Amino acid sequence: MKIRSIKYILKESFLNAYRNRLMTLASISIISAALVLFGVFYLILVNLNYNLNILSQQPKMQVYCLSELTDEQVNAVKTEIDSNKYIDSITVVSKKDAFEQLKKYLDNDKTAEGGANILEGYDDSFLNVSFIIKVKNPEDSGVVATELRSLAGVENVVYSQQTIDMITQVANWVRIISMVLIGVLLFISLLIISNTIKLTVFARRKEINIMKYIGATDWFIRWPFIYEGIFIGIIGAVMAFLMVAYLYSFIEPKLSNNLVSFGSGFSIVKFQSVWGTLALFYAGVSIVIGASGSVMSIRKHLKV
Amino acid sequence: MKVVEFIDVSKKYPNGTVALKGINLKINKGDFAFIVGSSGSGKSTLLKLLMKEETATEGEVMVNGYQLSTLEPKQIPYLRREMGVVFQDFRLLPNKTVYENVAFAMEITECLPKEIRRQVPMSLALVGLSRKANAYPHQLSGGEQQRVAIARSLVNNPALLIADEPTGNLDPENSWEIIRFLTEVNQRGTTVIIATHEKTIVDAMKKRVIAIDKGRITRDQQKGLYGDEDTEYKIYS
Repeated sequence: MKIRSIKYILKESFLNAYRNRLMTLASISIISAALVLFGVFYLILVNLNYNLNILSQQPKMQVYCLSELTDEQVNAVKTEIDSNKYIDSITVVSKKDAFEQLKKYLDNDKTAEGGANILEGYDDSFLNVSFIIKVKNPEDSGVVATELRSLAGVENVVYSQQTIDMITQVANWVRIISMVLIGVLLFISLLIISNTIKLTVFARRKEINIMKYIGATDWFIRWPFIYEGIFIGIIGAVMAFLMVAYLYSFIEPKLSNNLVSFGSGFSIVKFQSVWGTLALFYAGVSIVIGASGSVMSIRKHLKV
Repeated sequence: MKVVEFIDVSKKYPNGTVALKGINLKINKGDFAFIVGSSGSGKSTLLKLLMKEETATEGEVMVNGYQLSTLEPKQIPYLRREMGVVFQDFRLLPNKTVYENVAFAMEITECLPKEIRRQVPMSLALVGLSRKANAYPHQLSGGEQQRVAIARSLVNNPALLIADEPTGNLDPENSWEIIRFLTEVNQRGTTVIIATHEKTIVDAMKKRVIAIDKGRITRDQQKGLYGDEDTEYKIYS
């Protein structure tokens, strides 16, 4: 295609969009509505997954050794745990570490009772060496705990079977439900968009017919509609993006305050870390849907 | 030199209707021919075959060197650029000005903007509409709209101009004006084919008349009249 034709086609698609501005406006609104809905679901999913990730990593298993064990005996226990095939990683909490943690805890949360001062005169010898264990697969936690409890030198194993099970289940369900919802929404948006472009094409079927009679090639007829579709899609996407961004920036601080008081390390994803993906996705979806919707809608009218 | 040639052409539609049967016809460069016949005679099918809107079921149609039976769909636009077409209902783009409507026919053939700026005013001047260049079709009378359509059909200098009932929607005065423009076009060397019902015009022009009835050519006469048998008294009555 020649350069001047591209110029003509671009001018034409903008003029068409402008001349049929009511229809264009309707299409843009529908596309942005669909994309806003999509964006909201996407952000909910991202946040849920983010929090589920935090949560499913949080309840690690902690193995306490008997306090009278010597350093060699502690090492023997560690080697034993290391050989367990269900375990991802081990972090050693030495007596000194435990003592520091306790001091910190007392200073921060028990200031009224005198803070770390109540430890005056004590050293770390009364504390246990412990191992923080990350299990590869949270579902195996029960088995691992039983195995570790039977080891010589282990005093106790602390973990939360129920929390892990629940979180795993919720995570799976949320993933499945949001996938289905996003799939359905995407499909509906495609239908709405292609149908809207069909309306635009239908409103201009006479024009297409005339173009065919005076010798326009099929692609020459198609391009302005395709560009118009893309143009409508992109404008719709930009509007949807701005709305979602505004909505999120409005909700984010409120929600993150609530989540902090809810505790357990819940938090909300910062918009800066998701906008790139969202924008790329919007651009891709709007271009693809706009263009393919146009091609689909115009096919019937090219047969003259 | 032949611009149009039908060789033993028949057309049967999928629903079984036989629209044309054994048509043989030659139209030379520079000819001015009327195609007459009642509705349903096969007149429109003949024009559709010329534009390759339909394909002949038998025989061969040749238009300006194109062999239409084997013409690929991709080539159809280029065939149509060889001919200007004027319709009864004008078929102007309602949301484009007169100038844009005419320029449009050149834009789709990817002409240089320089050529467009030169050719469009010339074409509009030919049909006497230079002053209405910026008007929209709905602001013009029927006659003026048809003149825009003629200007559009001529802007690419086609070898052949096909007019399907060009005066069907016009009053007698405007009809004559359109015919006058078409004659002028013909005098500049373009082959003109007009399908029409207008007895008065056909009779007064005394040009070639091709009469079609029930899918066959019943008469092909130089300097002919609309209908032979009853012309004697109808002309003077």
